[in-house]
Order: sequence, then C-alpha cells, then structure tokens
Amino acid sequence: MRLSLWLGGTLTLATVLVALVGFVWTPHDAEALNIANRLKAPGGEFLFGTDHFGRDILSMIMVGARTSLAVALAAVGIGMGLGVPLGLWAAARQGGLLDEVIMRSNDLVFAFPSLLIAIMLAALAGPSVMNAIIAIGVFNIPVFARLTRGAALSLWQREFILAARAAGKGAARISFEHILPNLMNLLIVQGTIQFSVGILVEAALSYVGIGAQPPTPSWGRMLAEAQTMVSFAPHLALFPGFAIILSVLGLNLLGDGLRDWLDPKTVRR
Amino acid sequence: MLRYLTLRAVSLALTLWVASVIIFVVMEVVPGDPAALMLGINAREDTLAALRAQMGLDRPVLVRYGDWVLGLLQGDFGVSYTYRVPVSELILDRIWISLPLTIYALILSTVIAFPVGIAAAIGRGGPTDWGIMGVTQLGIAVPNFWFAMILVFVFAVTLGWFGAGGFPGWEEPLAAIWSLTLPAFALALPQASILARVMRSALLETLDEDYIRTARAKGLAPWGVLWRHALRNALIPVLTIIGLQFSFLLAGAIIIENVFFLPGLGRLVFQGITQRDLIVVQSTVMLLVFAVIVVTFLIDIAYALVDPRLRK
Amino acid sequence: MSICIEGLNLRIGAAPILQDVSFTVAPGEVFGLIGESGSGKSMTALATMGLLPNGAQTSGAIRFEGENLLALPERRRRALRGARLSMIFQEPMTALNPLRSIGDQVAETVSLHSRASAFEAQTRAKEVLDRVGLGRFSLDTFPHQLSGGQRQRVMIAMAVALKPALLIADEPTTALDVTTQARILALLQELVAEEGMSLLLITHDLAVVSGLAANVAIMEKGRVVEAGPTADVFQSQTHPYTQRLFAASTHQPERHRVVGEASVLHAADVRRSYTLPRKTLFAKPGRIEAVKGVSFTLREGEVLGLVGESGSGKSTLARALLGLEPVDSGSLTLRNTPIAQTMSRADRRRIGVVFQDPYGSFNPRHTVARLITEPFHLLDTPPSTAEKADRVAQALTDVGLSPDDASKYIHQFSGGQRQRIAIARALMVRPEVLLLDEAVSALDVSIRAQILDLLADLTGRFALSTLFISHDLTVVRSIADRVLVMRDGEVVEQGETETVFTDPNHPYTRELIAAAPVLRVNGGPPARR
Repeated sequence: MRLSLWLGGTLTLATVLVALVGFVWTPHDAEALNIANRLKAPGGEFLFGTDHFGRDILSMIMVGARTSLAVALAAVGIGMGLGVPLGLWAAARQGGLLDEVIMRSNDLVFAFPSLLIAIMLAALAGPSVMNAIIAIGVFNIPVFARLTRGAALSLWQREFILAARAAGKGAARISFEHILPNLMNLLIVQGTIQFSVGILVEAALSYVGIGAQPPTPSWGRMLAEAQTMVSFAPHLALFPGFAIILSVLGLNLLGDGLRDWLDPKTVRR
Repeated sequence: MLRYLTLRAVSLALTLWVASVIIFVVMEVVPGDPAALMLGINAREDTLAALRAQMGLDRPVLVRYGDWVLGLLQGDFGVSYTYRVPVSELILDRIWISLPLTIYALILSTVIAFPVGIAAAIGRGGPTDWGIMGVTQLGIAVPNFWFAMILVFVFAVTLGWFGAGGFPGWEEPLAAIWSLTLPAFALALPQASILARVMRSALLETLDEDYIRTARAKGLAPWGVLWRHALRNALIPVLTIIGLQFSFLLAGAIIIENVFFLPGLGRLVFQGITQRDLIVVQSTVMLLVFAVIVVTFLIDIAYALVDPRLRK
Repeated sequence: MSICIEGLNLRIGAAPILQDVSFTVAPGEVFGLIGESGSGKSMTALATMGLLPNGAQTSGAIRFEGENLLALPERRRRALRGARLSMIFQEPMTALNPLRSIGDQVAETVSLHSRASAFEAQTRAKEVLDRVGLGRFSLDTFPHQLSGGQRQRVMIAMAVALKPALLIADEPTTALDVTTQARILALLQELVAEEGMSLLLITHDLAVVSGLAANVAIMEKGRVVEAGPTADVFQSQTHPYTQRLFAASTHQPERHRVVGEASVLHAADVRRSYTLPRKTLFAKPGRIEAVKGVSFTLREGEVLGLVGESGSGKSTLARALLGLEPVDSGSLTLRNTPIAQTMSRADRRRIGVVFQDPYGSFNPRHTVARLITEPFHLLDTPPSTAEKADRVAQALTDVGLSPDDASKYIHQFSGGQRQRIAIARALMVRPEVLLLDEAVSALDVSIRAQILDLLADLTGRFALSTLFISHDLTVVRSIADRVLVMRDGEVVEQGETETVFTDPNHPYTRELIAAAPVLRVNGGPPARR
C-alpha cells in the first residue's frame, strides 16, 4: 500500500515540522497567561481557542510537540541502543548461558509495563520528563532485543553465515557485517512503531502527573487540565487529542508503508 | 505437558522473585525517612526512633526484605504510613474495581477483535478489508484516556445514558457493571484494533500454509477450511498478544480510573506517590507485577492446550 | 477413461503458464508427467484438482467421469475433491495440520464426503492407516511425532481413504531419502493395483517414472513436448528437449584423473556427539552420537564421494572438516596440520566449500564482487584494489560467468548461476581441498549436468582434491573416484566407486543401491545417469 507510505510520511513530516517551527515561532506566547481571553472558542485570533488561563491552545500544542517527540525518540534510542546489541549477542551465543540470561531478563522487564516503571521512578526521584524517557526506554529494550534475536537466529542458520565462518570471520564481525545489515529494514519498521507507542505512553504518563511537569508543555498534561472543563469547553480536550492521534497515526502508517516497501520478508520468520 | 508447564512455572517464579528484589531495592534507595514523614517535621528525635523501631526500620536490610516477602506470602502488605491501616485492606478495597475493569476490557477487546479480524482476512484486499484496516489503524492511534473523556462527554454529559463517574459498589452488581462499561470500552477499543490486526495477519499467514492446501484438496469448503484448520492455528500468535494486552490494560485501567473518578488502585498508588507513602506504592506495584506474571502463566497453559507439540 | 485433458490453457494475470496441454490417463494406469521446475507440471495438477491460485484463467477441457471439470460449479468440484479425485504433495513436513491428530485428519476426508458417523469415520481411518503401514501408531498421534516418510504415508491414507478414481502425486518422494522413496513408490504401486485407481505421477526424475509408468508426457515451458508409451518415448526421444533431458540425466562428466598417492585430508576415528534437551527437569540430559568413529583419507587430486541419507552424520562431519565445530575425539588433519576451530587463517584458506542452497548461500545485500572476495579475509596481505578486480574478473570467467557480473546482486541470478558464483567464492584463495556439501542437489537435472562438468574441469585445472558429499547415489557414481557410505554416524563401506556400486559388501549399501531408481531405456540394461 503506497498510500500508507505517503500519508504516513506526510503526517510524520508535518508533526516534526510543527515541533521545529515551535522553536522559532508560535502564534502567541504559549506560556503567557491572559485571563481576559480565557476559554475562547476556536476561530478568529485563537485558531484552536484558549484555555482557562487564556493561553493559546495552538501555541501550546506546537510547543508540546517537542516533548512528545523528544521523549519518544530518546526512548527508541535507548531501546535500540541497548536492545539490538543484546539481541545480536544473545543470537551469537544461542543456547548459551548468556543467551538464557538476556532472554530471562527480557521476560522480567515485560512483567513491568512502562507505567509501573514510571510509578517507581516517580516515587524514587519525583516525577519528571526524564522518568518518562527511562520508563518507556527500558520497556523498549526487550522489544528490540527479542525482535533482533529472533531474526538473527534465523539468519545464523543460513548458509552464507556458514560461508563467512568458513572464511574465518568471528561472531562479532559476522554480527555487524552480515546479520545487522539484513535486520535494518525490520528495525526501522519496529523503530517507527515504538516511536508512536512512545508518544502514546508519554501522553498517558503526563496525564496522570508522573511525566512532564509544569512548566514543560505537554499534550498529556493539557488533557489532564482539560478534563474538568470538557463539558463546557470540549475544544480543550479535542485539539491536543487530535495532535496525539495524527502524529501516532502518521508514524504507524509510515511503519506499515515502510514494511511493505522495504519488504523485510527475507528475514521475518 | 507437565514438563513444559513445570519449566514455565519455575521460570516465572524466578521472575517474580527477581522482580520483588528489584522493587524492594528501588524503594530502599528512595531518600527520606518514613517515620519522619508520618510524624511531621517537628517530631522529637526519641519519638522518631521509637516509631522506627516499631516499624522495624532499624533492622538490617536483608531481614526487612525477608519480612516483607514473608508478609506478602501471608497477605500481610505492611501498614500504610499515611492511612495507618494495613495496606492489604486498602488494596482489597480497590482491587475489586481495577481487576474487574481490566478483565471486562480484555473480554470486550477479544469479543470485538475476533470477528472483525476474521472478516478482514476473509475479504483480503477487498473493501471490507480496507475499511477495517483503516478504522483499526485509527483505533490504535487513539489514547484511551482521551477516548474516555470523549465518551464521558458524549454518553454521560450530553446523552445522559451513564453517570459521569463514580462507582456504586458491588452490592448492586448491575449498576456496578454499568458504571464500568464506559471505561471498559475506552480501554478496549484501541486494544481491539491491535488484536483485530494481529488476528487478520495471523489468519492470512495460516491460510498460506501447505496444510490449508491439503484441506482444500480433501474437498472442504472455504468455511470448513477456516473453521477446522486455520482459526485454531492462527490462535497461537493471537494468544501472545492477548497475554501482553493484559498488562497494557491493567496499566490503562489505573490511568483511566482518573477520568471516571473510580476509587481503584490507580488513585491509591498516585496518592501514595504524592504523600510519599512508599509501602503502599511498593506493595501495589508488586501486586500488579504478580497479576501480570500469573496471566503470562495462564497464557502458557493456553498455548499447551492449543499446540500438541508442547504437550510432550 | 479416467481423465482426459484436452487443450488446456492457463494464464495467471498476463503470463501464460500452460499452453494447449493434452493427455489422457486410462483407468488403473500409472501415468508419468515429467518436467523440470517451471515446466507447468504442478499447475496442470492443480488445474485438475481445481486448486489454482486466484486470478488464474483456464480454457480447454478436463474430462472426468463424463463431465468437463472446468465447467463445473465450485460446489460440485468440491464434492469430487478428496472423494473421486485426490492429491498428495511434495512437502510432507508441512502438508499436515500440526495441531490435529492424524486420525482426525484422515477421518475428516471420510466424514466430509459420506454420511458416516464419527465412529465409522474413525474406523475407516484406522483401516487405511493400517493399510499404508502405520498400524503401530494410534489415531491420536500428532504429525510432529512422525518422520517425513511416515507423514507422507498419512497423506496417502488421507488421499485413498475413499478409493478415488484418480490419485495425483506431485513429486511425492522428492523430499525423502532414497530408501524411503523406494518404499513410498512401492506402496503407491500396490494401492493402484489393489484399488484399480489411476495414478498421475508428477516428477522431475526420469528414473522414478521409468520403472513405474506405462505412459508418460514430457513438459517444457508450459507445453507437452512429447507423450506416449514410456518405452517408446524413452527409446525414440524425438523431441530435442527430451533428448537434452535424457542426455543430462545420463550425463557423465569428463575428468582427467590425476590421483596421487599422498594424503591431503585425513580423518582418524572422529567422534562427535550432541547434548539433547533434558527430558525432565532433573534428569541427566541425553546425548546423541552424530559421528561415531569415522576414518578416511582423501588423496591428492582425488574426488571422494561421501554418500548418506539424512541423519547419517555427513553434515556434522562437513562442519567439523571446515573447523566450524569441535570433535570429541579422533583427529582431522590437512597435510599434517590439525583441523580445529582454533586453526589459523592461513590453514583455513586451504579448504574451500560450496553449500547446497543456491538461495541461502549469499548475503543478499552484497555485490557479487564483495561476496566472492570474502575469503580474502583469510589472507595476511589482502590484494590491492586493482589486483582484487583482476582476480574477481578471472574467477568469474573461470566459472563461466562474465566479469561484468561482479557489480550485480545475487537476486539477479538463477539457481545454476548462483552455484557458479559459490564455486568462484570457494576457489578465490586457491584452496587445496574443495568440499562440496550437496552442491548440486537443489538444481534441475540439466543445470546439474552443467555444474558437474564445470566441477570436473576446475578440479582438474586447479589440481583440487575434492570431498563430494551427496545423498544422490547416481551423481556420486558419475563423478567420484572412490566412495564412502555413511549410516548412523558410521562409515559402513568404502572403496573404488565401480567396485562399491557393482559389488557392494555391506547390506546397507546394497539396500541403498537397490532403492535408487534406475533409468531404463528400452527395457534394456539400466543406463548410468
């Protein structure tokens, strides 16, 4: 489906652009309180309306995009940076003690959804954006480690790996020269998906107050603040929600489109 | 089968044990003195010492860990620093909201996802398939707590079919279930989208297998092929996802309780964090991890029931 | 007549798959449909069964029991499938549903087409499973508990449970060992005789058909190029493709034998065993001995054939010879240098290897130049870029490819070309020993003949000593100077090729040779392939 690729690419690009533009320009000051303009309906000067402090919703969304993207990106970075080498290592030592230890630790992390990790971190050091990054990132590690190990194991069975071993190459060199390049497509696709999951989880954590803290702008916290006012000012909840939905949808479509386009079937089990 | 399940049980018990160590260590590192928190900043030093001794905080770490685990095994979760009542009572009051909500959502998600996923697979490439793939793609992108707010706005505030929140208690079972319905739907729909897509792709993959051709060569009609040969085989990846969804739904339930003002574990644990009532946080997290691991084990049993290759 | 295919055309999308295919299978006869991969023989079978992929368009007629199958509505065709017409497939490992018992799967055919009760269906299932020689297995057995040959018997039981008029067998023994193949073919022959059904036997192997079929049709590129009574077709060979096919099947590569006396590769009492997974949590893990005391010598310039069925230990031995796996005891030496996992790169480069799978042997992301120069890793001073390019060009020319191919990727080549590239890679650093691990087993017979010629030429030109590992007796016979026969990890017989084949000593060797199908032309003495 080429449509997924285009639509997903466009939405993702738009999200990134909005976040970047937010650094240099927003329609209004996202943090300026102006009681005179409180709870303005969408349209006119305030395209998406204002909140109960008179802040411009559009500007807040533009600035909040940074937090969402930064947290999700950092979390994917942690997950890939640690998960992929662990997965490669486990596959190279298949059946060995190390493989067993890595895989059992993965099971362990799977028993702690990101929320629980974030709860513990918040109890430990107080809520912060860093907590969200670590909580989501740690949960990403086994996701990438398992994917990498599984695909790498089936590659290790292939005869071109035997040929490389017969050419005297060691496990580390084979992992990076032959295994990793053949996993790249798979990892890119999964990376996109985990990116979108990261945005969703960050929003949830900020919503319950254990992610981004004031004054860091965040879509999840905007929704938390909107909650009591939904009945008379639904726009407070609608627009940040749409922002989350469109960015996540964009990344998921991009992931699907990339999967079909890059066709990592060659290594998928 | 016994061997497989024994191995899994041992492995999961080990996981549970390591998890308890991690949780205990994390909570141990937390700065701050629980006794000081309970008595306030103006407490006298000797009163503090007495309270610490009473709470057992002056004993070595290993002893306290041992006590905590032994306590957990007997259902004794310690005493809350702020409420001054046993944590087990606090949890027991609230778990009867969070757990039923999770299970309700899991059932809804499965009940919705199966027919939808099957319909998409049957109509592969056709308009039904396209429609379902589009809607589920959107469904995955919707944050459940936001969806919950919209549901409240539409069905509670505007239409008035549901109360806007709160929980009547299980003394009135129907009203209780009714009050959990909106939150369960909010939780279930995004997960149902994921599950439906997994169901579809698992089914499509199975339908490409050689033994499906064998079944057709026998003269089975398409429905017979699907029902007798494809569905059960496609269930294995679907089970994996259902198992994972339990932990996501449990986490989601804790978050979504906020939207509906449900007095569940979520409120307890977030209050615990703000009030630095660590024993509550520690025990609740341990309990949730336990629930996730138990469900993992149940899924392992389900694998063995579905797949004879595991039943040796 | 049982089935009559008249002017069958088939296209999928724009691509014509079958053109004007016609032949008739008489009641009670075995009819052989022969062709290489891509000839359209399987599609002919699927068209007959009504199992064509979506988007297939047919014209012509398939007449069966007075009706044109192509004109029947799907519902009527379903009623025939499995009852009057049935089919077995090539891959027994994947053709059975892994989650349902064999009894269930056989009984399903019965209950689907008759009003039989569940009990009657089970009883019938038991009867046919007994008949195909699976009497010692209960109906509750699951496919994973059976071997490949046994699973193929379950498939046969399923197919013949309702005594169909026509059984189609699509390469039924290609995935099986030679002794198993002989037993399955014998079973099929018996069933045909007993039940009076017809058998349409589809195969790439002329020899399989020669002893079995009364009539044959030979297919090439979607057309029947020659058809008639087996003896006539095999003798006259009027069509050029038939001639080429026969020439390739009986091909004898020419070799200049320059066998010296010196030992190049020597194995002395080599043993290797593996640990099995534990049966229970606390039991000691079992061990399986894959190689038990193998000794042999490969002499200078010699082609030594190593024959064995699956599980004979030949693959384990091959990996040990490459220094990829340790041995438990005994020794492997390459001109007095011990072979081990720790051997130096300088020693490693003295053995080159070609594997079986032309598709899995190459990293799909590297160019041919990079693929075939991988063994340069074994040199202490890798050649300069210019010299590298020269050697790549030379190596590609040596194996009959063009130097321009160096910059291409592997997916741009056919199976036969890929094996040529694999040979180029193996010879890149001028090894003394070439190890061929089922190197021609995945190839069509005409391509195989070309690769065998190439190997014969190169081994002579580069004075290579070759260990030729294969399950295929006839191929080994055509190229090897001496043979080793392995079974269950032991060498049961070794000697000069002709001596072993004409006067085998060990009962297993005799069984193997008897089981291998022989291509008879004109009912005369078996021709050597």
